[in-house]
Order: sequence, then C-alpha cells, then structure tokens
Amino acid sequence: MDKVGIVGYNQVKLYSDANYGRYEMIFEAVRGALDNAGLKKKDITTVISATNDYYDGRTISNCFTVEVGGGYLADESKVEMDGAHAMLYGLMRILSGNHKLAVVWGGSMPSCYPYHSARLYETDPTWERPNAYVNDVTASGFQMRAYMDKYDIGAEYIANIAVKNRKNAAKNPLALEEAQNSNITVDEVLNSDAYSDPVTELMVAQPCDGVAAVLLAPERQALKITDKPVWISGVGWNQDTYYIGERDLSTCTSMELAAKQAYDMANINDAKNDIDVAELHEAYAHEEMIFTECLGLAEKGEARKLNTSIGGDLPINPSGGAMGGKPPCATGLIRVIEAVKQIRGEAGDYQVDGVNRAVATGQIGMCAQNNIVWVLEGGGE
Amino acid sequence: MSKQTQRKSMKYEKKEYKKTRTMEANWYLSSYNYKFNITHMQPFLKKMKQKKLIGNKCSGCNRVFYPPRLVCGECLVKPDRWVDIRETARVATYVIAYLKNEEGEVEERPLVLVQHDGCDTTSIAELAPGVDVKDTYIGLPVRAHWKDEPEGGLEDIEYYDLMEDDAEDLQ
Repeated sequence: MDKVGIVGYNQVKLYSDANYGRYEMIFEAVRGALDNAGLKKKDITTVISATNDYYDGRTISNCFTVEVGGGYLADESKVEMDGAHAMLYGLMRILSGNHKLAVVWGGSMPSCYPYHSARLYETDPTWERPNAYVNDVTASGFQMRAYMDKYDIGAEYIANIAVKNRKNAAKNPLALEEAQNSNITVDEVLNSDAYSDPVTELMVAQPCDGVAAVLLAPERQALKITDKPVWISGVGWNQDTYYIGERDLSTCTSMELAAKQAYDMANINDAKNDIDVAELHEAYAHEEMIFTECLGLAEKGEARKLNTSIGGDLPINPSGGAMGGKPPCATGLIRVIEAVKQIRGEAGDYQVDGVNRAVATGQIGMCAQNNIVWVLEGGGE
Repeated sequence: MSKQTQRKSMKYEKKEYKKTRTMEANWYLSSYNYKFNITHMQPFLKKMKQKKLIGNKCSGCNRVFYPPRLVCGECLVKPDRWVDIRETARVATYVIAYLKNEEGEVEERPLVLVQHDGCDTTSIAELAPGVDVKDTYIGLPVRAHWKDEPEGGLEDIEYYDLMEDDAEDLQ
C-alpha cells in the first residue's frame, strides 16, 4: 500500500449536555484540524463524515453539514458508522490517487435524543424484537455474563477496567467531566446503579456530545504539510452477524479477524511486543478485556493479568478510552486521534514513553458486532 | 457524584441556556409495517400452531437455526431442511433487566438467551414472571411455555418455565 499519513487532528471537549449548536461544534472540530495542520479550506479535496440519520433526527444527516464540514464545492460523502470506519473510506479515496487531502469527521449529540432507547430498534424486527426488548445495554449484559462465566472472572476485574479508564480520563482535559474521577474505587463501580445486571452504571461508557476530525494526505503532500506525520501501516475490518443468538459472545470473532488483517498488512508477528500502546473503543468495561485478547495482546481469559495502566506492561486507553466519553459516530475517530497524540508525543499528562507504534480500534453494533483495527506508526527514531 | 450527573443526562433535563435554544420536534420511526417472507417460513409457522418446534438446517455447514433463518450467512445458501428441535432448552447467557411495568414500577426481570436442545443458535427470551432472578444461571434448564391458543408465530411461546435440573455434575 502507498503511504498515507495523518497530518492533522482535532477533537472538541466532550460534554454530556453541550452548550453548543450542532453545526458550531462540527465547525470547531474541522476548522481546528485545519489549523492544527496549517492548511486552508481550498486545500480540501474530499470530505467524509460519520453521522447517523437516526441520531441526528432527520434523513440525509450530512446535507446541512456541507459548509461547516468543509465540503463546499468539494467532494463529500457519508459513512453511517463509527468515525474509524469513515477514516477507512477516506483512506481509500486518498489511495485512489484522485485526492490530496481528505477531511474525516464524525460526531453526534445524544443530549438531543434518548440514545439507549434509540438502540432498542437495532434488533431484528421480526425474529428478535417480538420476544423481548433488548437494547445495547442489555445485550452487553449478555456478553459480559458469557465472558465472566467462560473464563471464571469476577465482576471486580471488570470494574477494575472502569476504574483505570476513569482515572486516566481525569488526566485528559478533553474527556467528559462526569467520567473524570481520580479517586474512584472498585467498590464504587460495583455499587453504582445496576443498568442491567451485571453491567453497572459506571461500567457503561456514557454517550455524550462531541465531534472529532482527522486529516489524511498521501506521502508527498503529508511530508510537505508536517514534519511529523503519522503513517497508516495497517488496517483491518470485519463484521459478525447481527443476530446475537448466532455469535459466541464470550469472544469477538470479527475483532480477531480484523486484527489479523491489520497485523498482516503492518508486518506484525508478535503483537504483544511490537505494539507500544493501544486505544480501544470499549463501549462497556468488559469489552476492553475481550478486545485485548482478540488483538493478541493477552492470551484468552488472561486479560485481567495484564498491567494496562500508563507506565504498565502495555498501556491500554491512557486517554480514558470510550469510558472518558462516548460521542456516537466520533468515538473510534477519537481513539485514532489519541493514538496519533501518543506517537507524536502530544498527549500531555497521559503521555506514554517511547511510543512508535500504536493500535486504535472502532466498533459499531450490539456487543461490538462490526470492528475496525488501525495500526499507526511514527516516522521512526 | 458521577452517578447523579450520568443519570441526569439519561433523562434529558435541559437547563436554561445562553448559547443554545431547543425546539421540540418529532422523529417518529416506531410505526412501521415490517414485511417478511412467510413462504420460506411456512413449515415453521404451521408447526408453531401445533405447539411443535422446528428449526431449519443448512446443508452446507449443518447448523440448525432457531428461529429459522432465510439465509445461512456462512454458506450464503438457503437452509433447505427442517429438523425437529425440542421444547426444552438451556440458558446460554442471561442478564437482569430493569423494566417498567404497566403501573410504572421498575421490575427486575431476567432476560435470557436460550439454546433449544438440538439447535445451534440461541434466541432472546424471557423467563416465567415468578422466577427469582437470583436462581438464574448459565446452563439452567428451561422449557417453552406455550400460549393457550397459538396463532402461528414467535409470540406463541410466551416465556420459559424452569425445569428441574437432573443433570449430574461432571466430577
């Protein structure tokens, strides 16, 4: 694959109930990304957005975002998935050779609508919904119970992940304020309100308002724009069936296959040693453990033994991950941005030492049905 | 602290704003007439009316689907054989959901994925109303509870009754 670099990024501060209009937030993210790279509107040749009609409350959710997203008299398209999937579309457009700068942005405002209720409409209307109402939280409960039972893992290990991520989020100035808590304990997580037992409130990544944007450019342009571009060295994506009943919920097969594809592309044979930091989109605390195993960073059922704190064996989600705020359609893109920050050494208080290769993932669907894995590399020492 | 604020955002209580104003509008998608193929599912629906369960089996991978599928995703062919499956099942995984009943009280109810004996997939279901949530476990044997007058559809199984667990533990 030709080299494609990430040359700029920006993410707005996440709020549970933002004091922003929707378009203003998108403008701030996209304009900030251009400023970050020192570029102008006329440099943009293609724009890919990640939004969702249902979440935006209208059909063709990208039609009024043309100006604020930078798509005016340029080429524009939408991916109705996670932002990390939109970046795949952006990458392909760059690789087509027709474009010199792609803006990828994604975001949503769940303060305008009931997020978890909207996701009740995700199950199959004829064969699943009549039996019982299941939304993303209940489905994740199925997954967590299956994982805990298969490997005999207590809920305190899963609560531990929530504790680690919420403490990390406290160091991240852009994370959601409600999620930042540097004094949180395992007991507090376990004793918070039960959303759908065994999932408790603090194990759920809270949907919040936010927009993020990333700029992609081919090698020649990337080197002109910035002296520290971050290169895309591997990408893999895969999806499992939508029927929850047909999947092995204790693992995530689509993530395993996506990881294999991405590692093959990036020539990674030993993920545990080759990867310096991972930014995972864990919508629920237990998903981080499942993903860690599926990405080959730990053996099956052994994720609890890995020290994933900042400065640990393998830091996972030093930014706080999705636990530090989950704006729908932007979370995966924020994971990519955090990985870029780690590689460029711009992560501030949560910087991990000596990062040259990072992994970022995005997901969408119930129990992480559709996954994408990005392997990113710095210019080398 | 975070507990309170997270709750608040779930309830969508809007504060008075300086920079934004909200406008109430509707975005109803809940009324929709889903159309689905019944010619393929006809044997299944007929059998449900007789309080019998069948699943369809893919000739490619030999998996048995309940509820029946139009297409096997792994082989991309239509499962073309029907096989009997039992009305007994085991709980594959479960979750305790907190759902509001008609009076507006929050009830603890176990939602389960059940795997019928003789079938490879699981289906979403509810346990009988009286079941104590603490008694649920993975591998719990259950039996389908039929409606008095089945009409030929998935709703004919109202919920699942508990069965006595007579399996001997593996030593």
